[in-house]
Amino acid sequence: MWGRKQKPQIETDVLVIGSGGAGLVAALAAHQAGAKVTLVEKAAKAGGTTAVSGGVLWIPNNHHMGKAGIADSRAEALQYVKRLADGRSDEKLIETFLDEAPQMLKFVEEVTPVRFQALPKYPDYHPEFAGAKPGGRSLDPGLFDTKQLGAWKDKLRRSPVFGMTAMSVSEATEWGVFSKPLKLPFKLLGQRFSEGLVCYGGALVGGLLKGLLDRGIEPLLQTAARDLVVEDGRVVGLKAVQNGKEILISAKRGVILASGGFEWSKTLTAQFLGGIVTHPNSPPGNDGDGLKMAMALGADLANMSEAWWCPSIDIPGEEYDGQQLHRGDFAIRSLPHSLIVNRRGNRFVNEAQNYNDLMKPFFHVDPVAYERPNLPAWVILDQQFVEHYALLTIVPGMPVPEWIPRAQTIGELAEKIGVDSKGLTATVERFNGFAKSGVDSEFGRGASLYDHFYGDLDQKPNPNLGTVEKAPFYALQVHPGAIGTKGGARVDSRARVLHVNGAPIAGLYAAGNVMAGITGPGYPGAGSTIGTAMTFGYIAGRDAAKS
Amino acid sequence: MPEVEYMTTMKLPPEQVWEFVRDMNNWAPFLTGYQRHEIENETDSIWTLKGDVGVLSRTVRLKAHVTEWNGPERVAFTLVGIDEVVEGGGMLTIAKPSPADAPIAAPPKRGLWRRMVDGFFRWLFRRMNGPGVKRLEPARAEAASQLTFKLRMDAGGPSGPLVNAMLAPALMPAAEDLANKIAAHLEQLHGVAAR
Repeated sequence: MWGRKQKPQIETDVLVIGSGGAGLVAALAAHQAGAKVTLVEKAAKAGGTTAVSGGVLWIPNNHHMGKAGIADSRAEALQYVKRLADGRSDEKLIETFLDEAPQMLKFVEEVTPVRFQALPKYPDYHPEFAGAKPGGRSLDPGLFDTKQLGAWKDKLRRSPVFGMTAMSVSEATEWGVFSKPLKLPFKLLGQRFSEGLVCYGGALVGGLLKGLLDRGIEPLLQTAARDLVVEDGRVVGLKAVQNGKEILISAKRGVILASGGFEWSKTLTAQFLGGIVTHPNSPPGNDGDGLKMAMALGADLANMSEAWWCPSIDIPGEEYDGQQLHRGDFAIRSLPHSLIVNRRGNRFVNEAQNYNDLMKPFFHVDPVAYERPNLPAWVILDQQFVEHYALLTIVPGMPVPEWIPRAQTIGELAEKIGVDSKGLTATVERFNGFAKSGVDSEFGRGASLYDHFYGDLDQKPNPNLGTVEKAPFYALQVHPGAIGTKGGARVDSRARVLHVNGAPIAGLYAAGNVMAGITGPGYPGAGSTIGTAMTFGYIAGRDAAKS
Repeated sequence: MPEVEYMTTMKLPPEQVWEFVRDMNNWAPFLTGYQRHEIENETDSIWTLKGDVGVLSRTVRLKAHVTEWNGPERVAFTLVGIDEVVEGGGMLTIAKPSPADAPIAAPPKRGLWRRMVDGFFRWLFRRMNGPGVKRLEPARAEAASQLTFKLRMDAGGPSGPLVNAMLAPALMPAAEDLANKIAAHLEQLHGVAAR
């Protein structure tokens, strides 16, 4: 409650906590509905996790699919998402998402400069499941010119990986960013970088931020939310810390939590996650502060054992926001001439499947030995790989950095990295047989259309399989990572946070990774995280403004 | 190839500046992002630097080779990346300052966007490397020497044009940083800092 002598320094209608996709869209929607809006962000830059992401939205039945000649329906999408959710989320929320997401998309295009384009070749992550599509549900935000932001261009968070180049997702797909790196127009990309163009998450957040700034709403950066203020059972404001001083912000109509996940909190991940996220891919500020504020008010929680899993690879000494950068790996494991093994030298997964589901066997526990046999894990490559494909920051023709372990034989490499030598030698021999036949009879690598997206379509007979037989051989450790966590506060179809007793907590909303994910353990397609986050941000902003 | 040049002046005579600059061990720790350096022989050493590429901070190892040792005027060196396809070089030049009545060369004109980009990278540089050295240059009439640092870096390989675009804005802050750190150190050592 407000103290007797306390008077809020800022008075607003709707207060949004967090400046990622969920927060920015919530702020836009609330303002559009007539509310006075304030947005706080604890980091020095705006954009949150969305800004470092691929910036893609997964929106079934969206209006751009028609232009790409792809038919879709609510019923198909519902069938598909329900299967992936595995009965572990509220079906009503899935329906809410499917109904509202296409409207949210149109709204964003109306009130911001972001213009999306369907990606007809980017398949859903299980394209063979009933209701899935071979492309079109994932949407590319294109490029954004940061000069449009004026003084705010320096306050836009840049991705440490995607932010280094300005190519749209459509271009990256057409150019073969991973499989044909030598064909990339590096001169053009250098020009675009110098001109201030950004892509992927930077482009999405840049456009959303521009829309907000055009309405005269400037996010309050370096303003960390601390405690929600409650009066008569209703959330009416926030205590925050700005420049080391506590400030009070009153919010007459509601507070929207859009503060991201908890993947950087060692305590919360240890308490809740079934796996261990040692190498998160998001900005280090995602430590569950919003979740804890909701918990303090008795919020009900769901999906807490899940994350948007993603395998990570580290380049020693590479830092982002003062922490070791953990690079999500999307292609090294999917391209020919590579395989993933555990410490026994055995494969244990289809390396080319989507990054979320790929991670699950990493956490498998042997109930007899009581250990995780698939950790640590390594991706093994040969010289053919480095002669053809992009490997982290190098392209063919560049020397492989000295820190990457290498050897002239598979056995010698195994000994160097502490993997069973006989096991790895036998595994590689068997794998080479699959590569030659084009059929991975153990894990089905390259059988799905999804696998091909990150493969080499010129590789025959299977775009994801190539022998590992040309020395030197290389190894990179693959760590358990996550784009973000997926568990959080339960909400209803109006994005209102629910108390453990089942009733909404008046005045409190949630969207994005602070909210319990609606897809259970599943990841329907590229952009599911942001598509859901922005949709529930849209719902929350609109509802709060009207409350 | 991105190349920059930065000049500062000191009250110290060129000979005193040369005494310090002639030995790379003296000033290598003043390099931006310095982590360590290993001397291989009289002319060769390996520098480990933590450098900024775009929004990232990367640790790079560079092989430095002294190509010219011409006291008390200049030391020049080449740089070759060990883990990265990058090469370049630098030259520290010590000279008596131009006469007080000599015209000062006007800085090249830069467009608005260029100035905004440079401003951003200066901000980024300070954020990632600390505030840098604060020092006042002596009045022109009091300056007894000028120290110029010329630095060039060129990323090779197919991705060179892109990496060079990222490197270019970071070079001038790095050149300013080294020249000013050397100057500040010598001024403090000899008690001649400008007030």
